[in-house]
Amino acid sequence: MQEALPAIVLSSEAKSITMNDEPAQTEANPEFCKASDERLMLAFSQGSTEAFAELFVRYKQPLYGFFRRRLGDPARAEELTQETFLVVLRSASRYEPRALFRTYLYAIGFKILRAHRHRAVLRATILGLQKPDQMASVREAHDANLTVREALSKLQSIEREILLLREFEQLSYSEIADLLRLPVNTVRSRLFRARATLRDILAAPAPQAAPAKLTESEEHA
Amino acid sequence: MNSATHQVTPEEVMAFLDGELSSARAQSVFEHVKHCADCASLAAELGNTQRQLATWRVDALPSRVESAVFERLDQQNAPLRKATWKWIGVRPLLTVSGVAAALVIGFLFATVSGRSYRANMYMEPRPASQSVAALGGGTTPRQVSSKSKAIAEYETLLRAKQQLAMRSSLELESAGRGEGDGNGPIDEDGRATADFHQPMIARTVSLTIVTKDFPASRAQLDAILARYHGYAAQLTANNAENRARSITASLRVPASELPAAISALKNLGHLESESQSGEEVTQQHADLVARLKNASETETRLQAILQQRTGKVADVLAVEQEIARVRGEIEQMQAEQKALEHRVDFSTIELNLTEEYKAQLDGSSPSVSTRMHNALVNGFDHAAESLLGLLLFFMEAGPILLLWSAVLFLPAFFLIRRYRRAATAS
Repeated sequence: MQEALPAIVLSSEAKSITMNDEPAQTEANPEFCKASDERLMLAFSQGSTEAFAELFVRYKQPLYGFFRRRLGDPARAEELTQETFLVVLRSASRYEPRALFRTYLYAIGFKILRAHRHRAVLRATILGLQKPDQMASVREAHDANLTVREALSKLQSIEREILLLREFEQLSYSEIADLLRLPVNTVRSRLFRARATLRDILAAPAPQAAPAKLTESEEHA
Repeated sequence: MNSATHQVTPEEVMAFLDGELSSARAQSVFEHVKHCADCASLAAELGNTQRQLATWRVDALPSRVESAVFERLDQQNAPLRKATWKWIGVRPLLTVSGVAAALVIGFLFATVSGRSYRANMYMEPRPASQSVAALGGGTTPRQVSSKSKAIAEYETLLRAKQQLAMRSSLELESAGRGEGDGNGPIDEDGRATADFHQPMIARTVSLTIVTKDFPASRAQLDAILARYHGYAAQLTANNAENRARSITASLRVPASELPAAISALKNLGHLESESQSGEEVTQQHADLVARLKNASETETRLQAILQQRTGKVADVLAVEQEIARVRGEIEQMQAEQKALEHRVDFSTIELNLTEEYKAQLDGSSPSVSTRMHNALVNGFDHAAESLLGLLLFFMEAGPILLLWSAVLFLPAFFLIRRYRRAATAS
């Protein structure tokens, strides 16, 4: 019975560890540092460049992490991160604080990611299947996150997406449900299934075979 | 762990760890987890998984992305300060430009078409302006300024038209008094002269009336026609059983009696709709009279040639043929003139008189079983027709469909297979 409390404590510790993508603190205007994301976005929509700078500082790393964890190519992740911020720039005048800015930003990022995946699939269909990126596989051979990535790649795509949104983007169940257009209960059950599957995969002894190449399969998932 | 032994589901334990439960439920789950080894174990395992996931870190975003984004931000803000019109955006500008262009084109079209319409209405365009100058209109198009050119031209045309009408009326009057050759339509009683001063309007009135007592209304209709010296140009009565009776009639009533006749007709029953229209035929009539006069003069000259000159038999025959042709034209124009004047003299009333129908029970309708049988037979017929139509369509279009299916099958198959492979695997 006493094991429960440490488990909960460990959980909160783990959450604090995942905050490596948390919005960075800035040394800019102290007024903006304390303001909420939504207030900053409203200020930016009214012409405040400093507000956007603050938002950029807060979300550049989380957003890059969002793309980086879903794409094998870091250059493509940079490109899509930049594209997402540019969309925010262009659509600032139409922004309405109906939801959290974080949800708004990730919704844009998710649309861009989906469009990119669709283009990649079409390109592969028309031009033929792309060969695995040799450089990427070499790079991944030294990647300390390989075990986790390999385990994640074995999940169903929708379950993996829900898990990533929860663990790394820190979205609530309802925000994930809105983003993926799923019922909240479905999100919860699939998240549980994803975590359980991942637990089993990670708990199993590692195979002696060569590590799988995780490049485009993750992109298309 | 199952729901029979556990009040808390594993998903709830997970939701508790994620902070997704309400405070009351979270409290109860917390109490449960404290005393349940299974749930505590699950929570620990989930925590371990979460910790392992947390080891996946990504490298920092390169600074070039930041440079690119802020460079774009500067580009976006720069026009804001310098030229505010760019703030409007390209799409609204295009919309406004399009609307403005459409308005200008519409204005030009209306101006041009209106001018040509007026010119056509009074006389031929170029000869008209020349005749205007000849008639002493006082202002030639070249003398007016460009700004008031259209107005001046219109006024000049109007004056010319009035002078032309007066001249024609004088000629017609002189012809009517016997100063002409006493031939054809010119020797009318001078009504054409008066028509130039007063507009000639052919009136048409449409009435839709519903009556309760249809036979009485029918009799009243005949009485009204007799009282106001009118007649029915066309009348259709519908007396079908089990349906509302109706009369659709086109009545002609002297124009002077029209208001009184309309009032009388309205008393036939409840007026449901009424519409009145008038077509001005003054210009049409004037043109007809002028053409008639020219044709009469031509005929007179031809007759003079026939009487005064002698020549070959072929020439005489040709002149006689020409006289016959002109005479035919004159008679046709006379008929048109009379019809036109008749339209003006007698207004048209399009009457739709309907009975206010009250359904009555009668035993003449077929029985329910007969109607069901008929419906069944009709339904079967329709189904058979539909099936036959489908069959015929496939017989007609089937070969070409098969051909194209065979042609496109393999490319489509390979394309779909390739798409699926690309979507699922590398």
